[in-house]
Amino acid sequence: MTISVWRYSHLALAVSSFLLLSLAALTGIILAFGPVTEKMQPYRVNNFSDVTLAQALPALRTRYPGITALSVDVNQFVQAKGTGAGEKNPSVYVDPLTGKVLGHPGEENEFFQWVTALHRSLFLHEAGRFFIGLTAFLLLLITVSGTMLVIQRQRGLKRFFTPIVRENFAQFYHVVLGRWSLIPIMIIALTGTYLSLARFGFFDTAHVSPKVDFDVIQAKPVKSPAEFAIFKKTKLSEVESIEFPFSEDVEDYYTLKLRDREVTVNQVTGDILGEVKYPAAVFYTNLSLDLHTGRGSSVWAIILALASGNILFFIYSGFAITFKRLGNRTRNKFTAAESRFIILVGSENGSTFRFAQALNQQLLKAGEKSFVTELNNYARFPKAEHLVVMTATYGLGDAPTNATRLAKLLERYPQSQPISYSVLGFGSHAYPDFCKYAFEVNRLLSHQAWATALTDIHTVDDKSPEHFGLWAEAWSQQSGIPVTMLTGLDLAANARMESLTVTKITPAAQAGGTFTMAFKIGSRLRVRSGDLLAIYPANDHRERLYSIGVVGKEIRLSVRLHPEGLGSGFLHGLTVEQKIRARIVKNEHFHFPGGVPQVVMISNGTGIAPFLGMISQNRKKIPVQLYCGFRQRLTYNLYQDFLEQSAAEGKLAAIHTAFSREGNKQYVSHLIQRDGDKLARLFENGGILMICGSLAMQKDVMELLDAICMEQSGRGVSFYQSRNQVRTDCY
Amino acid sequence: MMLSKFYSAGLLALALLFAAPAVSRAQTAKYKCMVQMTSYMGEEAYVVISLINPKGGYEKTLYVLGSDKKWYNTLKDWFAFYKQKRTDISAITGASVAGGDRSVNVIELENSKINAGYKIRFEAAVEDKKYNVKDIEIPLTTESLSAKTEGAGGYIRYVRFSPN
Repeated sequence: MTISVWRYSHLALAVSSFLLLSLAALTGIILAFGPVTEKMQPYRVNNFSDVTLAQALPALRTRYPGITALSVDVNQFVQAKGTGAGEKNPSVYVDPLTGKVLGHPGEENEFFQWVTALHRSLFLHEAGRFFIGLTAFLLLLITVSGTMLVIQRQRGLKRFFTPIVRENFAQFYHVVLGRWSLIPIMIIALTGTYLSLARFGFFDTAHVSPKVDFDVIQAKPVKSPAEFAIFKKTKLSEVESIEFPFSEDVEDYYTLKLRDREVTVNQVTGDILGEVKYPAAVFYTNLSLDLHTGRGSSVWAIILALASGNILFFIYSGFAITFKRLGNRTRNKFTAAESRFIILVGSENGSTFRFAQALNQQLLKAGEKSFVTELNNYARFPKAEHLVVMTATYGLGDAPTNATRLAKLLERYPQSQPISYSVLGFGSHAYPDFCKYAFEVNRLLSHQAWATALTDIHTVDDKSPEHFGLWAEAWSQQSGIPVTMLTGLDLAANARMESLTVTKITPAAQAGGTFTMAFKIGSRLRVRSGDLLAIYPANDHRERLYSIGVVGKEIRLSVRLHPEGLGSGFLHGLTVEQKIRARIVKNEHFHFPGGVPQVVMISNGTGIAPFLGMISQNRKKIPVQLYCGFRQRLTYNLYQDFLEQSAAEGKLAAIHTAFSREGNKQYVSHLIQRDGDKLARLFENGGILMICGSLAMQKDVMELLDAICMEQSGRGVSFYQSRNQVRTDCY
Repeated sequence: MMLSKFYSAGLLALALLFAAPAVSRAQTAKYKCMVQMTSYMGEEAYVVISLINPKGGYEKTLYVLGSDKKWYNTLKDWFAFYKQKRTDISAITGASVAGGDRSVNVIELENSKINAGYKIRFEAAVEDKKYNVKDIEIPLTTESLSAKTEGAGGYIRYVRFSPN
């Protein structure tokens, strides 16, 4: 199972770092409460940002003659450190204007110290710091690959915040929360990486003190510190710390450590003795510390705690998603070369494999040799008779990563024996290019000389078991292998059986001819034209499906009488008032569309049945063009009165007929060729094309339309298929 | 007169009574001690200031720069001495010092130890870096207590004393 590079790196990075990452996230949450509790202390004075050194320093020196240093922390608490006699703890928080003691710095909380050491170095000193730094860097790569994945998933940066299709809890919240906490997590990772690099000396943060030339130090003019120009213009808020002169000697000076530079000041004259700007790395280190620890801002600290909590959730949900995917992996019992059934899967995240696996299990249980693999492993399959393609679509109608080479492989490996194929597309109507790639694969296969379609292409919206069941029924009917009872996707078991009464039957004129029949619709029965009627002629698992046309209060069927046909023979043998057990299979994609400008219906043979019902229900008089083909006019006569009546009532705009064994021997595709321009315009105008009948007819019509559309609009017919403008129900 | 003699004797006794501790206190003096660090790269340094007797052994701990006891064992030689006696050092403990910073503290010295062959030792350790037993060692003399002593390539650039 291949997955895209980004997803693979995202997973590989997560796997290699999750242990340390969980530890760092957990300790990070705890540490975030440090700044929050600190900030709550009442040691910051109100007008702090206005206080200058000229105001503060003389006041503090008068109050504390022994003061040796002063520092301002990130919370803007001012701390004075002195050598006052007898004081046990010589540091106090002070009001910088009055010198009033506001509080005593507490001992650093031992628990926080312990957690900090764990967070920083795992108690392993240098080695631990290295691993934590590496983890931060990996986290950075994880966020980058995660961002790329979201962009891919949402198909473009612009749609980054558009809604996400919910597959399951872990997947949904992994993406939703991922988008929101992306920025804080990226900041945590980036600053963490930077701090580690700085710690290992990658940046020049060396502390260089200004050089003081003692030969030029002046002892005059004597000024009061309150008059010093540098003190007047420097605010306390720019200060990190101040070292007071060690003695009254003129050679001892003030050292002001400001946010961006260090200045030494003559204690007598107030002259600036030296000044050194810090390297930029010091600024970035401080910024990184602010951002990484949330110091000085309880709001940011809380955001960091939430982001750390999210990291823990991502580790959990990421693994939940991964294990789910691994569970979808396949181990084949038989080789590709010996298998009769080949199931090819195109899947981006592996979920389609579950459906492939369900089918595979059924086939194996039935004693068949079957083989599941991804589309990129397409090769020569010497014993294959049936090919089933189940594929999702990725991005803007592209192939999933494990199906990208299919087109080339099809060219390279033509099969030597005829194989029938069936394509099942997986997707979601939440995206505009619904199942586009599946339509593309269907088109590719239809061009292969060795390939014949076993069923019409089917699509599954949002992993719907109903849609899958619909395909399974069609496929098992054609292949003769019962696969209705799909593990975990069981439909037939809880399907509701209906009892239907025959009201009318018009027998076939000859063997191979067409007959029509009608059943009464009870008041409780919900059925619409386009749905399917499933009957069980031998009362066993064998099921036969017929397209339903609802006219008035009746279900109408058109059936071709096959010699020895199980289903057709059974129906033909019924008499009026007889009851049968059957069930209605909802087939929503083939219901008559409301609110569209125009509808074109194409049918051959008995495929006209659902259209008859739809035309009769066309009360809004949407313009409907009907193209229908038959072998003989005789069959058309069965419907002629009804159709002409509907045309007179305005429910049908035009009838185009083709007869393949009489007159000028036309097929319905000839009519399509004739009206190609009209049909291309139909698509442009948002109209809908419905096709019902044989797969051979569908193939001809689709090829014609593909060529016409390409010529007219530059878009293949699969473009309109993926926009649900082409709806088919063929067999 | 008797009375005044009594008075005198009483006063003397009183004086003696109160003078005894006063005399012993008078034997110590306080000094401001400034430790200026070099601009080394790395964590904050733990520095211990000890009084070393003429035989070269530890006599007394004068000051400890660094408050987390977890790291004390990195100052190996001093820790061996400290472990034995376990005196309360909370009153003479301050914060560790970063590269380029300085730390000013007050230490108390007995006058009798000055100019008597004693030394003051500054030993320093930095996490994951070298441990220096004698980052600086200064003879305890009247001279050195009023001057600046340059370091010898360790973590400390210089130390300075001045009477407090």
